[in-house]
Amino acid sequence: MKNNNTSRREFLRASGGAIGAAWLGLNWPDVAAAAQHAHDAAAGRVDHEFKVLDPRQARDVAAIAAQIVPTDERPGATEAGVVYFIDHVHAGIYAGSKTEFLAALGAFQAEFAKQHPDAGQFADLDAQAQHGYLKSIEATPFFGQMRFLTICGLLALPSYGGNERKLGWQLVGFVDQHAWTAPYGHYDRDYPGFAPYAKTQQS
Amino acid sequence: MSARSYKPGETVDFVVVGSGAAGGVMARELSRAGFDVIVMEQGPRFTAADFRHDELDYWFNNALLNSPQSSPQTFRRTAAETAQRVKDFPSLWYARMVGGSSNHFTANFWRFHEVDFKERSLLGAIPGTNFADWPIDYAELEPYYTKVEWDVGVSGLAGASPFDPPRTKPYPMPPLPVKSSGVLLERGARKLGMHPFPAPMAIASVPYKGRPACAHCGFCMGFGCEMQAKSSTLYTMIPEAEATGRCEVRSESYVFRVDVNDRDRVTGVTYFDRDRRERFQPARAVVLCANGAESARLLLMSANARHPDGLANSSGLVGRNLMFNTYTETHAIFEHELNEYKSVQVTRIVHDFYDSDPKRGFYGGGGFDSRIGLNPIGWALFAPPASRAWGPEFKALIEAMPRAMVVATHGTSLPLESNRVDLDPELKDAWGMPAMRVTYKDHPDDLAFAAFLQDRGYDVMQAAGAQQAWKAPITEATGSPHLLGTCRMGNDPATSVVDRYHRTHDVRNLFVCDGSSFVTSGRGQPTMTIQALAFRAGDHIARFARQGEI
Repeated sequence: MKNNNTSRREFLRASGGAIGAAWLGLNWPDVAAAAQHAHDAAAGRVDHEFKVLDPRQARDVAAIAAQIVPTDERPGATEAGVVYFIDHVHAGIYAGSKTEFLAALGAFQAEFAKQHPDAGQFADLDAQAQHGYLKSIEATPFFGQMRFLTICGLLALPSYGGNERKLGWQLVGFVDQHAWTAPYGHYDRDYPGFAPYAKTQQS
Repeated sequence: MSARSYKPGETVDFVVVGSGAAGGVMARELSRAGFDVIVMEQGPRFTAADFRHDELDYWFNNALLNSPQSSPQTFRRTAAETAQRVKDFPSLWYARMVGGSSNHFTANFWRFHEVDFKERSLLGAIPGTNFADWPIDYAELEPYYTKVEWDVGVSGLAGASPFDPPRTKPYPMPPLPVKSSGVLLERGARKLGMHPFPAPMAIASVPYKGRPACAHCGFCMGFGCEMQAKSSTLYTMIPEAEATGRCEVRSESYVFRVDVNDRDRVTGVTYFDRDRRERFQPARAVVLCANGAESARLLLMSANARHPDGLANSSGLVGRNLMFNTYTETHAIFEHELNEYKSVQVTRIVHDFYDSDPKRGFYGGGGFDSRIGLNPIGWALFAPPASRAWGPEFKALIEAMPRAMVVATHGTSLPLESNRVDLDPELKDAWGMPAMRVTYKDHPDDLAFAAFLQDRGYDVMQAAGAQQAWKAPITEATGSPHLLGTCRMGNDPATSVVDRYHRTHDVRNLFVCDGSSFVTSGRGQPTMTIQALAFRAGDHIARFARQGEI
């Protein structure tokens, strides 16, 4: 509960300058609910139990995601738990696409096996070979879908199963505070105010 | 007074179909004028506390939208093609809920300029198009633009743009605080001799009429506003209509037919209630404010033996002349952080290319603004060029997101008879009604001007000192949230669907007022004009009713 209170306090501090106290008094339950939801959804629960993918499928999905957002000195799809997102959404908001997704994944695996009869599965290749193989299929709808899912798994609310510990948001510099005051960035810090145009400039 | 609830079968003065930008205004104006009003809304009623900052659900699972599953649409470019079902995202999209798209809009509130209403006279005919003057001019609409700014609530700086049309009052609220993207747009544009200015936005910059000021959360475009700072009709017009004690908003009520008697008088509407039971609501008059896609579809679905091509469609133009607004993006990355995920989408705009210039060799006008667009998922998905779409280069690019911005352009779409909304011959929606079929192909001038304007935005980013800038490819439109032109206004019943007061030429007690009324597309950001039209129409319709002229 400590975190929840912190979240509410941050929200209020950030929005307090802009909101009339009287309005806030009247509407506190609504605002509190919105702030609370944002916070709860962001907190998420890490759940590493697969609901849709079998171990072999999960290995390939994780390997593809790691190629799309690789790990270097900063975390990538692997650390953000993208594979769990991709698994969980196909039992959740994208459950309707589960069959289609698994069929496309199956076709990917079958085609890979055909081209690499001795390689085991895609995830067994070394990173460079994985990159090369994906390069050859980057125009396919399956790869497009994997790119979509990987990005969502990196940057969607952690409650969907990815973006673990908000690693994806940290990577792209997004802070889920949900209320801000100016200045917002470097360039508006010293803005002198809008300078009107002279009447003679009118056209 | 609290919201009225009418008895089943009780005849009311007006049924307003749709509770969005136009419907909310219409409901308030008619109920305040003393009439009994029922607003039919197909979607649910949410409160501020229901809205969430969930980009995945809102943008990639259609949480607020007309769902491609239950309200499917088909799309084709030309009538020669068989329209294909649109799968993941609707072609013509809107927020399906009380308050309609005024909940999820970005809240850019540009007035039209004087030129928008009389371009056909000024520029001449454009062969192959239905380019025409409006039956009203700017001066006639000006008081209603002012009414939108003051009654609905718009923040802005009067007189800031040398291109602004005349106005009778300043904005009621100062502009929202400038963001880094706005500063950079202004810097680059001024360097090139342009006249950037603070964007007028339907978002409260200070507490206004019992609503709080914006908390700058950054979730405007595509989201509902949990602060009630966005001037959605859900928070402005609808409660004020209900406060008259004469207005009932009936949510989850999907009107699928406007009923007429054999004297061509509307008798009411037939709808599915939330349990999908078919019900009839009698009314002395009906006003369609269901948006530029659904108002046309409803008239077409209301076909009967006497009107086999749809109601109010003697011109054959119901559903035709569908217009969007062209949209392009230039992406730029700067040396320092902008943090564009904070605060409202847009703070500065440029209108130097608003007027069409025959010297360019093609018709078109528009404006551009500074923003980030969707963030963070949307930017990562759509901003990177193909060469940096995944892998280490992609990762490096999305790590630069705090330093990124977008210049978005908004331009004209010409009215073409072949671009249209009609009924799919086979596909049905979840209620068994004909699905919407969309036929749309941009006019070459629309694309030429869009490219021209994108180049100007690109120049501005270079002049502002961008480290990198790249233009997103311009592709032919396959859909839009700007739904315009499908029941156009005009004086001639042969070439228009409604008259200058939004009364259908064919049916005396049937009115249509929303984006469908537009004769030309304007330059983007149509909601301001939709609401000004609704205030004006509300005045006239109330007058007709009082005078027994309905």
